Amino acid sequence: MTIFNHAESKINGVGLGLKRELISQIQAAFGQELIANINFVEIAPENWIDVGGKARKQLDWFAERYPIVCHGLCLSLGGLAPLNTGFLQQVKKFLQQYNIPLYTEHLSYSTDAYKGQQGYLYDLLPIPFTEEAVHYVAKRIRQTQDILGQRIAIENASFYVQAPVSTMSELTFIQAVLTEADCLLHLDINNIYVNSVNFGFDAHEFLLGIPGERIVYSHVAGHYQQTPDLLIDTHGEDVIDPVWTLLEEAYQLFGTFPTLLERDNNIPPLNLLMRELNKIAYYQSKYHQQPLASTSLYG
Amino acid sequence: MTSDIPSFQHYQLAFTAYIRDPLQQPRPKGVPAKRMDVYKEIVLNNLFESVSACFPVAQKVLSKRAWLTLVRRFFREHSANSPMFRQIPEEFVNYVTKICLSDETKLPQYLASLCHYEWVELLVSCMDETSNEVIPNIQGINPMADLLAYKPVFTPTMQLLNYEYAVQKISPSYKPKEKVNTQLLVYRNAEDIVRFVELNPVTHRLIELLHDSTNTGEQALTMIANELNHPQPASVLQFGLEILNSLRSQDIILGVYS
Repeated sequence: MTIFNHAESKINGVGLGLKRELISQIQAAFGQELIANINFVEIAPENWIDVGGKARKQLDWFAERYPIVCHGLCLSLGGLAPLNTGFLQQVKKFLQQYNIPLYTEHLSYSTDAYKGQQGYLYDLLPIPFTEEAVHYVAKRIRQTQDILGQRIAIENASFYVQAPVSTMSELTFIQAVLTEADCLLHLDINNIYVNSVNFGFDAHEFLLGIPGERIVYSHVAGHYQQTPDLLIDTHGEDVIDPVWTLLEEAYQLFGTFPTLLERDNNIPPLNLLMRELNKIAYYQSKYHQQPLASTSLYG
Repeated sequence: MTSDIPSFQHYQLAFTAYIRDPLQQPRPKGVPAKRMDVYKEIVLNNLFESVSACFPVAQKVLSKRAWLTLVRRFFREHSANSPMFRQIPEEFVNYVTKICLSDETKLPQYLASLCHYEWVELLVSCMDETSNEVIPNIQGINPMADLLAYKPVFTPTMQLLNYEYAVQKISPSYKPKEKVNTQLLVYRNAEDIVRFVELNPVTHRLIELLHDSTNTGEQALTMIANELNHPQPASVLQFGLEILNSLRSQDIILGVYS
């Protein structure tokens, strides 16, 4: 199995999610100082596999100029229907075709059918945190890794409802899945913060419990405050200070790792977005050291 | 059917059942309504946006309320099989076609055709023409050659469409009651812009006879002259050549293998 290695991969520094609204702006600014801190871009395979026409030409343009990360939305690692292996074969081909070193997915589910039939809801739903769910999800992650012939990273998801059937904390669940699946971690800093408010736990303590040696990638984003105790993970606002603080703390604790700004809604012009990318780059330069993931896990 | 699954999956089933149908299904036990509402709204809203973006005309000819009701019903009843987001509208077209055939709701008769017509634009805009084997040897195409003497090669994104309604004219001020047999061609041009062309019956038949066959232009036109019992087959050939050259000038015909 191919392991993910920062030194060999070109995924480093700061990245930006490739949204249609931003494509022509990045193309126009290419080579300029303004976007010097875009080191890689991220795409959802569910939006780009087997596209032709204008979208294909855009993808090819970026693939020639930037390293790409695939961040999936619909693999449904915690879903009831069998893993969509046909789709995974398409993902595998796509990763090879575009020389994409990293594929990450959410620790969530997006399907609800039972006994063979997929029923996609096209959204990220919370997996109950139980022993059985740990084994179930870990098995599906292993199956995914076997099909792809490489490790994947799983992302801690944001959520709004705590399952009454849960028997452990989110952190314990994440730790157990990572260990049992022997996979990598895509740490979403904003999701830690969102969940800490939604469920009243200490985000810093949560961070301390994260197995840092498995982190290969991270996200920061903004969210929407619906009420003081309910944050919605919209990716439609600027990143707030407590989330920046948490990112800084993560770099301090674990060393720096590639970090992407997610902005999916209410997208401002590129020059404004770059302020947030530049801020990530600033923190990375402040805490730069050998990423632990490539030394302790694979050294 | 669900007795053999672990309890966390029972909960998941209850969770998604409620999201899909909050009016009929109970809220999962022990879950606060306010929090569950977030999922109820977000999941439907995201799907609503993904669907609606593809069907601007269908949305307008139905009332806002009827459109929302239709999308809700799609979400409640349809089991979508594709993880690809751009196939959500295709899933919707399949669903609308199915319910329009079997249904006693007051959806307009033309709705399935209209939705298909609007979806085809998306299909053609992002169709991956390089992945199929429609044109095995694009370099071997001679763009200038005689379209009568050889088999014309059509652009691989071309779709021939047949509708029972004049779908391209439908708008809030034209909601057809009468069926009008409508033949269209859709394709993506060299600038990646999707174009629709209204076809007369002869042109439609000509393309049909040339597409997916080995007929040369002359053979297809001779067949049409016979089908029409035309007194002057030579004029059909002449007229047909003009059609073929016009299709070539629009990049619908790429040339011939000569």
